[in-house]
Amino acid sequence: MWSVWWKRTGNFFGNPLLRKELRQRMRSIRTVLAVSLYLIVIGVVAFSFMYVNVQGQTLLLQPTRTAELFTFLSYLQLALISFVTPGIASGVISGERERQTLPVLLTTPLSPWSVIFTKWITSISFLVLLILMTFPLYSIVFLFGGVVPSQVLAVFGLQFMTLGAIASISIFWSTIVQRTGWSTVLSYATVAAVFIGGSVVGYLFDTFATHSPDQTIWVDFGTAAYTINPIYMQASLETSLGFITPAFHNSVVASVFTTVQQHNLMSAPSWLIYTTIYILGSFLLLVICAWRLRPGTFTITHKRLLRWLLR
Amino acid sequence: MIVTENLCKKFNRVEAVKDLNLNVRSGTVFGFVGENGAGKTTTLSILATLMLPTSGRAYVAGAEVTTDAALVRKLIGYMPDQFGVYDDLTVKEYLAFYGTAYGVSHGDIEKRTKELLAMVNLSDKVDFYVNTLSKGMQQRLGLARSLMHDPPVLILDEPASGLDPRSRIEMREIIKGLRERQKTVLISSHILPELAEMCDEIGVVQRGTLVACAGVEVVNARVHGQRQLQVEVLSGGAKLADELAFRHHISDVISFDEEHVDILFSGSEEDQVELIHELAVTGYSLKSVHEVGASLEELFLRLTRESDEGQPVSKLA
Repeated sequence: MWSVWWKRTGNFFGNPLLRKELRQRMRSIRTVLAVSLYLIVIGVVAFSFMYVNVQGQTLLLQPTRTAELFTFLSYLQLALISFVTPGIASGVISGERERQTLPVLLTTPLSPWSVIFTKWITSISFLVLLILMTFPLYSIVFLFGGVVPSQVLAVFGLQFMTLGAIASISIFWSTIVQRTGWSTVLSYATVAAVFIGGSVVGYLFDTFATHSPDQTIWVDFGTAAYTINPIYMQASLETSLGFITPAFHNSVVASVFTTVQQHNLMSAPSWLIYTTIYILGSFLLLVICAWRLRPGTFTITHKRLLRWLLR
Repeated sequence: MIVTENLCKKFNRVEAVKDLNLNVRSGTVFGFVGENGAGKTTTLSILATLMLPTSGRAYVAGAEVTTDAALVRKLIGYMPDQFGVYDDLTVKEYLAFYGTAYGVSHGDIEKRTKELLAMVNLSDKVDFYVNTLSKGMQQRLGLARSLMHDPPVLILDEPASGLDPRSRIEMREIIKGLRERQKTVLISSHILPELAEMCDEIGVVQRGTLVACAGVEVVNARVHGQRQLQVEVLSGGAKLADELAFRHHISDVISFDEEHVDILFSGSEEDQVELIHELAVTGYSLKSVHEVGASLEELFLRLTRESDEGQPVSKLA
């Protein structure tokens, strides 16, 4: 069993496309600059936040402030993920098409699924690297208490799931449309629709609920709109972890956490819906991409299956 | 080795390939000739498993391109008419990537890289980044790439397109060399003289249909056996054209105006002298009778014109 597992895993890591993509991405000077810039931005923000909060304080151990810093950093990271992922993933297939390298790639024995899945892995690998590199910065919060590693991992888990879903959406558009420009626009539009559109729609449903005699339906619609929104689900996670503190004076932040509690987004059904939509949705989008990449693949498989059954 | 049976491909209402029947024998270099939009690239794309046919069948070494696509991909080396290269990869890494994708072992990749780069005269560029190579070098590298897994069949779509004369000659010489390696090569082009030098057989495709197919020798014999003559007169070209159409040794009147008549003449030089004499005696004011460039190009134009006009297509073989 282990040998089979090792062979399969070895084959995956021995995937020539994966090695080529990683080599190309990591060799570029842009990667080095992007990683450095990302760490500098997160570092500057984290240290500035700490400096402002430590000034004039007599106590170094302030769990409330630490939770606040952690929440702030995690939201900054979520914003960066939602901003950077489409930029990286929206050109992976359309870029191959534009560079005229796709036809040759498709005449190799690599399956369309293998091509799409590898592209997905390499797209998220850079972002995963960025997130992992911020671990030392996050660990600063442990110095001040109030946050434990399991809580950090839970938030990172949510972010990895969101990152994977955004990459799938971007690869989907990259496969469907011919031009990278359009693919990038559509990817950002989809992310904006989920993040900002979802918040606006949820707010509208909440407003309808206050003016409608049949409140329950509108509240349920609102809950659905918030449930698929990573901003609210991250707030839900942080609420569950006990990070909600009186320090959230900002009205926007306060409204997000209030909404989470009003709609009970910490509940198991909300999390089930979120994880199902994001994991299954990502998988489904990648399957569509594989089908679109070589349209005949599934038709032929279907014909073969039919022939085999009739035999 | 490559067979198509009533192959058809429709894009909405446009029929790009129409009942195409092709048979390329093993070990031959087959030239696939046609104007732009004749259906060459579509046919090659179907054979390379990049496209599904609307109807009909196509086989490569006995494997059907739709149902045994995975096997076909292993059997062919495909070079599209226009292809790009990956940035940030050296020539060695580029070939190694495709070699690994085809399942070639690490040891064989190194061996084949050396051998193929020597074949395409790029041995000194092994550590160069592929995007820094000239267009001609990239085309040659593309050919080396398509040979990495040592496929028995090569499908080359206009391999010399966009190259300068020197690079075209280099590419032609390399493809000639493939014949010695016992490869079956299907090569498309719209430049006939070039194909005549490289190919064993030539097929002419017009509007998605194969309108003629023959060995290069047959084509050359046909061209040389039927010289194109231009008869120059002071006036009465139209009347002369009518008369010439029914003369012995004249198989076709290609074009005419008041002062010129172009004909396809199948007779000998003595027959030509006799024709001149007869025309002079009949009373035509002859200025000159001379042979104009008889080439594959003209044959190609004539064949495609016949096909356009719905006339019976010339069967060369």
